[in-house]
Amino acid sequence: MGKDLAGFLEQIRSTETIVEVEREVNPADFEVTAILRRLEERALFPPVIYNHCRNLKGEPSSLRVISNVFGTRERCALALDLPASETGFPLSSRYAERTKHLLEPQVVAKKKAPVKEVVRKGAHLDLRDYPLVRHHEMDPAPYIDMTICLKGRGQSFYNTSFQRNMYKGPRKLGLFMAARHNWEIYRSFEEHGEPAPVIIILGHHPAFYLGTLNIQPYGVDDYKVIGGIMNEPLTLVESETWGKDFLVPADAEVVIEGEVLPGVKEAEAPFGEWPGYYGPQRLSQVIDVKAITHRRNALWQDVFVSHRENWILGGIPKEGEIFEAVRAFVPTVRSVHFPFSGNCRLICYISLDKQEDGDARQAALIAFAHCDFLKYVVVVDGDVDPFNEGEVLWAVATRCQPYEDTDIIKWVKSSPLDPSITGQSEGSKMIIDATVPKRKAFAQRTTVPERVLERIRLEEYIDEETILSLPKYTDSLRSV
Amino acid sequence: MALKENIFWVKCPKCGGKFYCDLELRHSEVPLRCPFCQNRFLTSESPEIFE
Repeated sequence: MGKDLAGFLEQIRSTETIVEVEREVNPADFEVTAILRRLEERALFPPVIYNHCRNLKGEPSSLRVISNVFGTRERCALALDLPASETGFPLSSRYAERTKHLLEPQVVAKKKAPVKEVVRKGAHLDLRDYPLVRHHEMDPAPYIDMTICLKGRGQSFYNTSFQRNMYKGPRKLGLFMAARHNWEIYRSFEEHGEPAPVIIILGHHPAFYLGTLNIQPYGVDDYKVIGGIMNEPLTLVESETWGKDFLVPADAEVVIEGEVLPGVKEAEAPFGEWPGYYGPQRLSQVIDVKAITHRRNALWQDVFVSHRENWILGGIPKEGEIFEAVRAFVPTVRSVHFPFSGNCRLICYISLDKQEDGDARQAALIAFAHCDFLKYVVVVDGDVDPFNEGEVLWAVATRCQPYEDTDIIKWVKSSPLDPSITGQSEGSKMIIDATVPKRKAFAQRTTVPERVLERIRLEEYIDEETILSLPKYTDSLRSV
Repeated sequence: MALKENIFWVKCPKCGGKFYCDLELRHSEVPLRCPFCQNRFLTSESPEIFE
């Protein structure tokens, strides 16, 4: 058996608390997300398991719900085999490094696949038997918000991404796809009048899900990329609906198999999305569900969409991959960060040691080319920590003159979920060059002499008890 | 690059709940679905439209 969710939870139990809610909850009546929101109000982001849930029929569900697995960068560091303390750029760098090492998946027999312990097809198949979560007030129905996977028509590559699925009936789900890789695969089936096979994967090792968010080119097999991110080959098994023609993750908690119907579109959403707003009701595709398989005591995983877990999950893959892309042309790049303030998608901070003034805009253009979500790129020097937002904004305030250090690019493909876009998915992008110019003389940062700092131990001047009694204020810390 | 709308708000004729839709549904014959009461109605049946 390969890496899986249960193994990861066991691993982290020794170092952090996994909250288990014993009181019964009704996920379809916002009770899962209400508890997460209450925790969030207290700045608490533990993984939460709801041990007693109602299913969509209102009956006790045999499956438990888990959410907030990606609520901290510390937990994601552990998922990528790093110490929990490595939450800064080493985490992003580890991700980028692993995307270079694709691993061929391994296939196991059905009897060795935990996800095949329970199989529901035909008359025994009913989504109402499961604890789907309704997240936010304007959502019209419960949603599944985990990873879907399609396979290239007549090809061998699989493509994974997070895409929302609206509950529409016992064997029916809505599916919204922005015009990216999965949409392209679906289109290739639709133009032949064929349904596109699709699976939805709920519950797996967090490295699996981090791997699904890679930004590799179209046609790269995401199962191989995911294996690289997990640092072991992904274990697969034949699906119930298509056999060996479509392989599914054997160590998942739940796999839903279905077909995206050609030429069928229905009203779907509104749905609370990653920007913190609802995406509008729109025409979206429909899935005809064919089978559900799961572990006997499966955890039904759900992401707290529109909140911190959703952001962290999307940000780490982008940081690492954009760093590698920039480094190919600006080798002195130091670090890349997608901050919470941009939902880890809309804003990017890049720090580099500039050799020429053009390096800053070059780095920004490369970042935009690799991530169509991105709207603002701020480039700072190597003495500014992009993980310290206060420092980044200080650099913007003191090193940037808007009339010569900013550029706006219009009519560029953007995320359709950005509420400020001006068309279906057209928006504008902005580069903010907050680096010290090389072409003219510039002031120098203030420093207390290092030679003096080295010989001053605070405890030799102020007793430790007094130091420990002083309140801390971290709102103006400088990293250098 | 002028700002233009890409959504419009509607009001459910049954429960009065307000929600918004992508512009592709503005003149479509596809029924909207109220997220609050599940009522299905055409855009033209909304007592209020704001765009």
